[in-house]
Amino acid sequence: MYGGDEVSAIVVDLGSHTCKAGYAGEDAPKAVFPSVVGAVDGVEAMDVDADSAKNNSNSEDSKTNESDKEKGKRKLYVGSQALNYRRDHMEILSPIKDGIVSDWDLVDNIWEHAFRGCLMIDPKEHPMLLAEPPLNTQQQREKAAELMFEKYKVPALFMAKNPVLTSFATGRATSLVVDCGGGSTTISPVHEGYVLQKAVVSAPIGGEFLTDCLLKSLESKGIKIRPRYSFKRKEVRPGEFQVEDVGVPDTTESYKLFCQRMIVGDIKDSICRVPDTPYDDKSYANIPTTSYELPDGQTLEIGADRFKIPDVMFNPSIVQTIPGMEKYGDMIPTVRGLPHMVMESINKCDVDIRRELYSSILLAGGTSSMQQLKERLEKDLIEVLCSPSLFCARLLTFLDFENGSSSALFRSFQESPHSARVKVLASGNTTERRFSVWIGGSILASLGSFQQMWFSKSEYEEHGASYIQRKCP
Amino acid sequence: METLVVDAGSKLLKAGAAVPDQSPAMIIPSQMKRMVDDGSDDVTLDPIERGFIRDWDAMEDLLRYVAYTGLGWEEGNEGNILFTDPLSTPKAIREQLVQMMFETFNVSGFYASEQAVLSLYAVGRISGCTLDIGHGKIDIAPVLEGAVQHIASKRFELGGTDLTKLLAQELGKSNPSMKLSMSDVEKLKEQHAKCAEDEIAYEKTQNCEIEQHTLPDGQVIRIGRERYSVGEALFQPSILGLEEHGIVEQLVRIISTVSSENHRQLLENTVCGVLSSLVGFETRFQKEASLCSSAIRPTLVKPPEYMQENVGLYSAWVGGAILAKVVFPQNQHVTKADYDETGPLVVHRKCF
Repeated sequence: MYGGDEVSAIVVDLGSHTCKAGYAGEDAPKAVFPSVVGAVDGVEAMDVDADSAKNNSNSEDSKTNESDKEKGKRKLYVGSQALNYRRDHMEILSPIKDGIVSDWDLVDNIWEHAFRGCLMIDPKEHPMLLAEPPLNTQQQREKAAELMFEKYKVPALFMAKNPVLTSFATGRATSLVVDCGGGSTTISPVHEGYVLQKAVVSAPIGGEFLTDCLLKSLESKGIKIRPRYSFKRKEVRPGEFQVEDVGVPDTTESYKLFCQRMIVGDIKDSICRVPDTPYDDKSYANIPTTSYELPDGQTLEIGADRFKIPDVMFNPSIVQTIPGMEKYGDMIPTVRGLPHMVMESINKCDVDIRRELYSSILLAGGTSSMQQLKERLEKDLIEVLCSPSLFCARLLTFLDFENGSSSALFRSFQESPHSARVKVLASGNTTERRFSVWIGGSILASLGSFQQMWFSKSEYEEHGASYIQRKCP
Repeated sequence: METLVVDAGSKLLKAGAAVPDQSPAMIIPSQMKRMVDDGSDDVTLDPIERGFIRDWDAMEDLLRYVAYTGLGWEEGNEGNILFTDPLSTPKAIREQLVQMMFETFNVSGFYASEQAVLSLYAVGRISGCTLDIGHGKIDIAPVLEGAVQHIASKRFELGGTDLTKLLAQELGKSNPSMKLSMSDVEKLKEQHAKCAEDEIAYEKTQNCEIEQHTLPDGQVIRIGRERYSVGEALFQPSILGLEEHGIVEQLVRIISTVSSENHRQLLENTVCGVLSSLVGFETRFQKEASLCSSAIRPTLVKPPEYMQENVGLYSAWVGGAILAKVVFPQNQHVTKADYDETGPLVVHRKCF
């Protein structure tokens, strides 16, 4: 039992693209930075950086320096400030692969930066609420609990699933959460505050995938995206400027890609729109172009790509028409579009709750703030539901007959004409959509009735990390 | 009775009654000396390090001096007080401050606000980007409609004190026989530091003219290129050994993080503190700004004419005085009754 009225909890949401951390009770996280780490390997790098480490009053580097001696003298840099500076031989590493944490050392560094670098708190004094993906394994949870209690010595911990937190953020106990994040899109039904594990559907198409598509598409058109560090503007004559390339041979490919993705991500955020109808080359061939200015002064004119890229979420087979993305061609047949994933997920649920799920579909995640996504999803779902034959044909290809039976199929068939009941909800504010998981966590951790649910340090010491399964359902 | 406005910085503490048209009545150094009775050297204390209050006992003594001795408060009749906070102040520090105010000093009302927002109020704006170059830290904070965009703002652990250390190092190299104390170097920095026009001009200063300066103890010191290094370090922190970009580059990156609709508001209203007294800073800033990408080109804002000269040095205090005139009469501050009822946590709810 942990009665924490006076001390405010910290909510941490480590996503595949950004890490969000902040105090519970606030309306937005204070610390938002990319959840990747820059690593510089090797002994030579150590010597060069030793002097700067002495002069550098930023504590993050020197702290991770000592803890990395076992890792072969690798120096790690976390946070947008440290990552924006180009260093020789710095590789960008991501701790999360396919939604699962693969490198706990990197996660440790990211948390350390969030706590001591950004929020400037001592983890010993604050209970922690961690947000986890809905399909998290028992092993991952135990490892996270172990890390939190042993290294950071937190007084109490709780792990909540992302869709549950999003549901709380909108004040609903039952909903279908469509989380369009950076690394993947996950659709999970939440019923009375619990995720229905069997009905969770996930696809690897997320914001980063769309950014890569746009990057490849622009490159194939001959447009070179210059990362910020690679050019300099020189004044050739008074009032006239020229852009010069700066030679930086020791920059790694991963860092260059990271910088390019940041720029292209911004292009995607400001220009891309989801088309109202499925994309095809002919009808969008003569669309008027929008201009965007790159950091080096080049002006891009983007026309058809504005609509083509977001349509990948609804029709993944378009990816094959983008030059440079052919390697994803073998993955595509197994990946469905967004409306179909929604259908699949709902149809795996119990028949009784389906109606409620259809009328409360929540959009969350950074990618969901793309313009017109909500309207298109609603339209597509109503269309699919309204045409019974189409519905039946598609459903038959996706149903697995172990779970379904013909009677269930007919029952849901009868229920399908309730097209008016399909409602996609999304907060109007794009910041709220991007941080909806974090906001839900902030609300949860500041509720009075939640204070008795924490998994406290004494319980951990008594029962061990596996007890978390019982405490955090 | 007027509200007392206190802006506690790492080097100077600015305090005074809330009268926005004047400079603060007290501008005293924050550094304190503890007198030791047994005859050994006095210990120098800095209650405020890098913008945050670290030594609470010393801070209490300092505030006691300011309020009672300096500004004429009487025990038992304390008024209202307004404090300024730097960017990303941890919650615990704010709570401790409000606790100290109500329990030790027994004030009747309290309010705290962020320095970035106050500096903008001082120049008559509610949106803009503040570039606060202080003694202990540099804060770059975009503010939209009075709300600091924490996600985009950045704080650097680099400030006047690091520049002083750099100057001391450089002078030590070129004048090896000299013994310099830090306060002498501070004065030298304030008198002689300059910004070169741009990077190319900086490189040319290898052969610049050497000035002579007489120290109080009679020693004569020669200053040449070192004075340009101090100004250059702001635009090229690699001189200090830090792996960072210069301030203009950082400013541009921060502004591009904020969503595009607000860019124009931020770019046209960039307010700078303290170092506007550094010769050549403004021209260098404009030069660097013109070298950035054309869409994002910051310009420094000029304070309105009805404000005092040098408002850049005390802009946070002036903003605090303006805010005090608004907040306290409308009872939006934390009163003693609120504190007694809820405890220190009330400060997070009432003060943004």
